Amino acid sequence: MSTQQGQDAKFFQRGKIEEFRAELQAAEAKDKKYQKRKTVLKKIVANITMGNDMSPLFHDVIQCIGTPLLEIKKMVYLFLVSYGRSKPDQIHLVIPSFLQDCSDRNPLIRALAIRTMSYIPIPVVTEALGDQLRHCLKDRDPYVRKTAAICVAKVYTADPRKAERKGFVELLRDMLIDENATVVANAVAALSEIGDRQDGVIFKLNLTIANKLLGALGESSEWGQIYILDSLLRYVPEQHADAEMMAERVIVQLQHANSAVVLTTIKALLYLMNYIGDRRLIDYICRKMGPPLVTLLSSGPEVQYVALRNILLIIQRRPTVLKNDVKAFFCKYNDPIYVKLAKLEIMYRLAREENAREVLAELEEYASEVDVDFVRKAVRSIGRLAIKVEPAADKCIESLLKLIETKVTYVVQEAVIVTKDIFRRYPGKYEGIIPKLCENLDALDEPEAKAAMVWILGQFADKIDNADELLDDLVYSFLDEPAEVQLALLTAVVKLFIYKSQSEVTKALVHKVLKWATEDIDNPDLRDRGFMYWRMLAMNPAVAAEIVLAEKPAITTDSDRMDRGALDQLLLHTGTLGSIYHKNPETFIRNAAGRALIDSPALNANSRAVLVTLARPQLPPTVISVSGPGPVEPTRPSQPGEAADNVPLPTIMESSRSDERDLLDIEGDDGAGGDSGEGYPDGDDDGPVTKAADPYASWVVRLVVT
Amino acid sequence: MAIDGLIILDPAGRPIIQSSYTTYPAAYPLLHIEALNNALAKALREGSVDPVIYIGELSCSSACCHVEVGGMRFVATISGDADPLIAFAFLDCFIEILQDYFGIVSVATLKDNFDIVYQVRGHFSKETLDSSGHPLTTSPNALSDIVLSPSLISKLLASVSPATPGASSFGSNGAGGAFTSPIPWRKAGVRHNHNEILFDIVEDMRGIVGKNGATLVSNVFGKIESNAKLSGTPDLTLTFANPNVMMECAFHPCVRLQKWTRDNALSFVPPEGRFILADYQYRPPQGALISNVPMPLSLKANMDMGEFGGTFALTLTSRSIKVMENLELKFYLGEDATSAQCTLTKVCFATSSFCPKNHSRQTLRWEILNMRSSGSWILRGSWTSKIKAPRPAHAFQIRFEIPSYSFSSLKVDQLRLSSETYKMYKGVRMRSKGSIEWRW
Repeated sequence: MSTQQGQDAKFFQRGKIEEFRAELQAAEAKDKKYQKRKTVLKKIVANITMGNDMSPLFHDVIQCIGTPLLEIKKMVYLFLVSYGRSKPDQIHLVIPSFLQDCSDRNPLIRALAIRTMSYIPIPVVTEALGDQLRHCLKDRDPYVRKTAAICVAKVYTADPRKAERKGFVELLRDMLIDENATVVANAVAALSEIGDRQDGVIFKLNLTIANKLLGALGESSEWGQIYILDSLLRYVPEQHADAEMMAERVIVQLQHANSAVVLTTIKALLYLMNYIGDRRLIDYICRKMGPPLVTLLSSGPEVQYVALRNILLIIQRRPTVLKNDVKAFFCKYNDPIYVKLAKLEIMYRLAREENAREVLAELEEYASEVDVDFVRKAVRSIGRLAIKVEPAADKCIESLLKLIETKVTYVVQEAVIVTKDIFRRYPGKYEGIIPKLCENLDALDEPEAKAAMVWILGQFADKIDNADELLDDLVYSFLDEPAEVQLALLTAVVKLFIYKSQSEVTKALVHKVLKWATEDIDNPDLRDRGFMYWRMLAMNPAVAAEIVLAEKPAITTDSDRMDRGALDQLLLHTGTLGSIYHKNPETFIRNAAGRALIDSPALNANSRAVLVTLARPQLPPTVISVSGPGPVEPTRPSQPGEAADNVPLPTIMESSRSDERDLLDIEGDDGAGGDSGEGYPDGDDDGPVTKAADPYASWVVRLVVT
Repeated sequence: MAIDGLIILDPAGRPIIQSSYTTYPAAYPLLHIEALNNALAKALREGSVDPVIYIGELSCSSACCHVEVGGMRFVATISGDADPLIAFAFLDCFIEILQDYFGIVSVATLKDNFDIVYQVRGHFSKETLDSSGHPLTTSPNALSDIVLSPSLISKLLASVSPATPGASSFGSNGAGGAFTSPIPWRKAGVRHNHNEILFDIVEDMRGIVGKNGATLVSNVFGKIESNAKLSGTPDLTLTFANPNVMMECAFHPCVRLQKWTRDNALSFVPPEGRFILADYQYRPPQGALISNVPMPLSLKANMDMGEFGGTFALTLTSRSIKVMENLELKFYLGEDATSAQCTLTKVCFATSSFCPKNHSRQTLRWEILNMRSSGSWILRGSWTSKIKAPRPAHAFQIRFEIPSYSFSSLKVDQLRLSSETYKMYKGVRMRSKGSIEWRW
């Protein structure tokens, strides 16, 4: 092998087209057992690997296609896969060889031939492939059949309507009852791929076929199992009993060693649970899902990350899953940061009165760590815990005060931000700590923390003796502050004025700030708000006081719940990219088709109440695209935060401050990242759930064939 | 919606090998490489880049899943709403096969054996991913049927006659056993002169100990690793003397789940070669708390933090009845640490290495190669730091191994072979290891 290795390294050389051509020509003579040709082809393939363009050799390489040696054939086919599509004028030369290989005695060659042909979307080739593919779909060798099944998906991609006319979809459907499990799995995979296209036929399963597929589950490879389990989402149970029977058959797959199989099984179960009526069975399934999810956490960090992002979704919809397993999510010092952040979010979600003490102790531990990002999130989680679990609030405040005493600037800033929300959640309870916060005024240099502190000063200006002095100091740099802080200052100064309208100092202060806001500032939000305050104060100070100091809506953890309908929809994508980014794939993946629960008599009432429908016949049946520069954004509603900030009403503006973002939300996207404290009550039959607007609907034509 | 290609990057972020992305624009792989390199460059420290990176540019909307091996990055690009777990399983398996072939996976071995890598990749992604990127087989056993091992390739190259064993596996009997065999994980017609099956019971303890020395959480995850070299279609039944120590079991697809549920026996027809028969979690005996398996060691840390540094005295005591090996304690001294000195009471090693900008380097390592079942080891020392209030890690990372031991004392009772008549050699070994975070 050693000499072989030495030679191989030499193959990595560029610019050898002429040399290769000459070598290939030389190899035509006296080529004992085709050794020469093989060596040259190997060099050419090596160059393809390197990304060097070998297409000028097209004519020379295809001369070798007839060589009766599998290795050479494979390399020529590899070459064709790479450059076939770029040679539409020469490709006809290869077609006879293709056809010959399609009826070769060796199934491997037959499969190789149709596979390669399906890679070359040039009309002559596709034309020739049609009949061959039809034969291969019924080949006696399962290897050829399974390859053919996948080729159909390829052919379909090239021209959906043509593939339908040729009846390939029906042929694929017939393969669902093939005797060989691998063939069945591939047929399912191909049909799923077709069904996932926006312009594809809709792939649905009926009870009989779904049961047949479940029967093939045992004999399939793990990947086959994944396709089959995933395809169960295309079966809509008409009766509770059907869904229950299916769930019971699927549940054993939770004991699979392959994490992807486990996650797909969970996806199928979560889906079926929407159609199950028996509460005890639902509870049983939820209990069964916990341990395999915890087991995923003993894998490598990459798998852990995928698992954690999914768990975050699952526990919002089914809070009983993992209810008692918060310890499994305790962070270790040397976990990668993305794992830590994901675990932290889950710990917060799993926190309840019973385990709040343990969770708080952990969070305190994390707040003393080295990683700045993580520490910030930990501090913020302490505050969120106080808001979520009332009995733990005292302890959380204690711990926040301790953290403020550390004087580590970023810790103090985070603590101030969350304290503001705690004040709103428990009015009149913790204002005693305001002096402590004021001591750290100078340490605040981040806009969010500063704005939070300014809000506190304004809101409680009547309780803080020297509020006017403090605000006066802060206003000093008004014109240099970021907009966020300017807005907060403006409102705070107005509040101060309303509280202490007799004081000359405050009068001067509010006048100064209003003048700045309306005359020296270009930001329309700030200017408009300035004008509005000014007029209100000028026209009727009493009403102004009522409006500005109106009672704020209480902060609850409801605000960070994900919309139930959207959640139901996202869970149909468990395990996939959509579940990692917590967005429906059709909003960020080109050509992805959306999924939604489908109504049936068995669908439980609450899921139906929030049902998101994909097909919207009343809307224009085309994709609405806006021309202009830049990529077209998928349909999305304006973000709640922005919307609120544009409305010039101080009370609303403040309530928008309370928006909490998903700690892990990479894109900073409130639309999808609204997170939940409690999750949805597991009872599918308790309390009405309001139907929220569907933020992700993308309106697309779907063509239904068959 | 599938894996559409594979890229291998060298430590400098340059591609060594990549799939031919024929159906994509030429910029497609480059976009992925660039996005990954950018993310890595931006990362403050190792291991802080999300393992799945979304790429929305050029309307290609795909993602790359990456893992690091031997300094290189193995990147699987996926398009559509694919399952990243499949991509990671695929990468793991691919790397495992390369390791099987080359021993060490490094830039040098890959470059020297590019044709094998390419073959493996080519066949691998052809046979396992198929043309549109659907993974079909990643079991190495089934793959060896389709992908030529290096020895077979060299045989092929050396041979004059195409009818060598290697070639014949591609001969007229075609796709071989893997797809025609009635059992998807086992090829038909395997023959061995010497039949044997070996089981390794490997248990891994993972725990966190709090400041007060109380165990916050500790779990033992076990695996039954097997290596089967058995002829024909052997139908095995494995029973345990104490199956109740296992909970939350997960099995290789070959295990008949119903039989396990009914009589706690593992009944299976094994694949050829190495495979993991079962994963489980240790269920401590009645009365003991779950997630609170006792630690086999204890650590007492006296830390004294001063200005510009601090001192420490660590006392490590074994509570295990068995000898612990390769015990390693790591203590990250903070990014501003500049040096450390320590003294030892018994024969062991302590090293500390310093290298600015590299997180893993400002770490004190204390190694005890062989730790007897009783007695204490003490490490005293001090470290210095550039800043006034040093911020070392508040936890020690401890790793250890305990050979011929299992936390659960899981015991194999019997292994019966039916459906074949030959005698086989059976072997069971135990091994335990642990990684514990000890906070102070």
